[in-house]
Amino acid sequence: MKERLLHTPEGVRDIYGQEYAGKVRLQDRLKEQFHLYGYDDIQTPTFEFFDIFSSEIGTIPSRELFKFFDKEGNTLVLRPDFTPSIARCVAKYYMDETMPIRFCYLGNTFNNGSDLQGRLKESTQIGIELINDDTVFADAETIALMIESLQSVGLHDFQVTLGNVEFFKGLCEECGIDPDTEMDLRDYISNKNYFGAEAILDAQGINDTIKKKILRVTELFGSLDVILQGRELVTNNRSLAAINRLEQIHEILRAQGLEQYLTYDVGMLSKYHYYTGVIFRAYTYGCGDAIMKGGRYDRLLSSFGKDSPAIGFAVVVDDLYEAMRRQGLQETEERHATLLLYRDAQRKVAYEKAHALRKQGIKTILLQRDEKTGNEAYHAYADSFGYDIEEI
Amino acid sequence: MEHTSEYLTFALGKGRLASKTLELLEGIGIMCEEIKDKDSRKLIFVNEEQKMRFFLAKGPDVPTYVEYGAADIGVVGKDTILEEDRRNYEVLDLKLGKCRMCVCGYESAGELLKHHEMIRVATKYPHIAKEYFYNRKQQTVDIIKLNGSIELAPIVGLSDVIVDIVETGSTLRENGLVVLEEICDLSARMIVNQVSMRMKSERINKLIKELKEKL
Repeated sequence: MKERLLHTPEGVRDIYGQEYAGKVRLQDRLKEQFHLYGYDDIQTPTFEFFDIFSSEIGTIPSRELFKFFDKEGNTLVLRPDFTPSIARCVAKYYMDETMPIRFCYLGNTFNNGSDLQGRLKESTQIGIELINDDTVFADAETIALMIESLQSVGLHDFQVTLGNVEFFKGLCEECGIDPDTEMDLRDYISNKNYFGAEAILDAQGINDTIKKKILRVTELFGSLDVILQGRELVTNNRSLAAINRLEQIHEILRAQGLEQYLTYDVGMLSKYHYYTGVIFRAYTYGCGDAIMKGGRYDRLLSSFGKDSPAIGFAVVVDDLYEAMRRQGLQETEERHATLLLYRDAQRKVAYEKAHALRKQGIKTILLQRDEKTGNEAYHAYADSFGYDIEEI
Repeated sequence: MEHTSEYLTFALGKGRLASKTLELLEGIGIMCEEIKDKDSRKLIFVNEEQKMRFFLAKGPDVPTYVEYGAADIGVVGKDTILEEDRRNYEVLDLKLGKCRMCVCGYESAGELLKHHEMIRVATKYPHIAKEYFYNRKQQTVDIIKLNGSIELAPIVGLSDVIVDIVETGSTLRENGLVVLEEICDLSARMIVNQVSMRMKSERINKLIKELKEKL
């Protein structure tokens, strides 16, 4: 019966010891980087009303949310993502502010999705949101911060892929694709599944010229030159503006010497439907999914009554940590702590010594010697926890 | 598996599909002599010159290996891709092992599929069956997972219909069963890890392009 109590539910886990220390270090460094760009910390509730994360807002599918009820019968949801919460906060507390607002956050998110696929249901995210700035400079700064953050934690082998959801939206509009079909197509196009997308278009009886145009999107990824070819595909301003925007961002980032990290993909479409412009994801070895995701969401705040543009990204801390560990980039920090081993008679001396050491900033642990326990046991204990023994 | 960025690693579904895939790859100059040695007990085969690695895995595990980046590229049937529902890019239809996913049963069971009534469905592919009946047909069904000889289920009265792969349909005919509805066409597909697609884009794109020209 007792063994049963030791289990945690599927999809959640304990993080402790060296791993937790490493994770905290990673978080601290990322946060420091965000602070250097003027971002202020914000904390929002772990759970909120269902409506904040509903399908109208456009986060993950409702059935993947952890839901429960309060005493009044309201449906509450454990946050799957921070962005809607922060949008709500800004709409509430900064309704009349029109100048840029910068917030960064750190906390756990919850996703009641797939079972037995080895994905965690609780994961830590750290990220930023920049509100009230719709310029291309905000886009570029956000992406530059993303790159610098990864560099600051010691990751060098990574790629940031930029896309713009407006390109595909414009193309569908131009081709007269109805919204339902567009939704169905999104999945296939993002998965580069040419044949799946073709089957949908065939089923809708869409003519060959349009079909070719839409299917071409699955191939528009790689260097900037590749996506610039997208211009020949469309005549609508929405799609053309999307490409121009990416080109401008590239120019700004190139001037900062960051172009080696950039790839482009106009077929990249997020499952978060609140994105309205440029979107980006960072990939590295050792993790099957993006370690950072973000994008522009210019209409989300209007759902909360404030008409403001915004952009942001989130780092999946657990995935980044795991990827770095697999790449051998996770240095283990030596633990410097002193273990003061004393006999009861020396207690007063030991306390004074401990006080003095702690004042100097030295981690100090007091342990009263038990005469029945041998010296070896104390040394073994000190070794396994990385303490230096000092006997009094 | 250690972090090996210099190799391009393939996960191939064991069996006929693997040998046919290797033939295809040979057609574009990618060789792996080691893997052809039937007596070999090796689990992973390397072509040092071309910096390629290959391993054979059970079909349903291929999308998993690819999702986690243990393999950059996988070759596996569309049935497995649909059933496993992993986050990978599906980049090529290799047109190998063409067949169909179908709802089959006795002719008389056809009536049961028309009225949204609760029926029993036996299958090796519960995910595909559920997706088809719940989301496409809006019919509530009781799904029974079996591991082989699915055709047996309606014959012995375990289920009303089955969802299974149909190649020629001869097993069905011999047992008095028919195809009642078609769910989708199947064939072998090449899938790619999302990260590899970015990090090794040059090599992978070249490979896809060359294969496309061959097909």
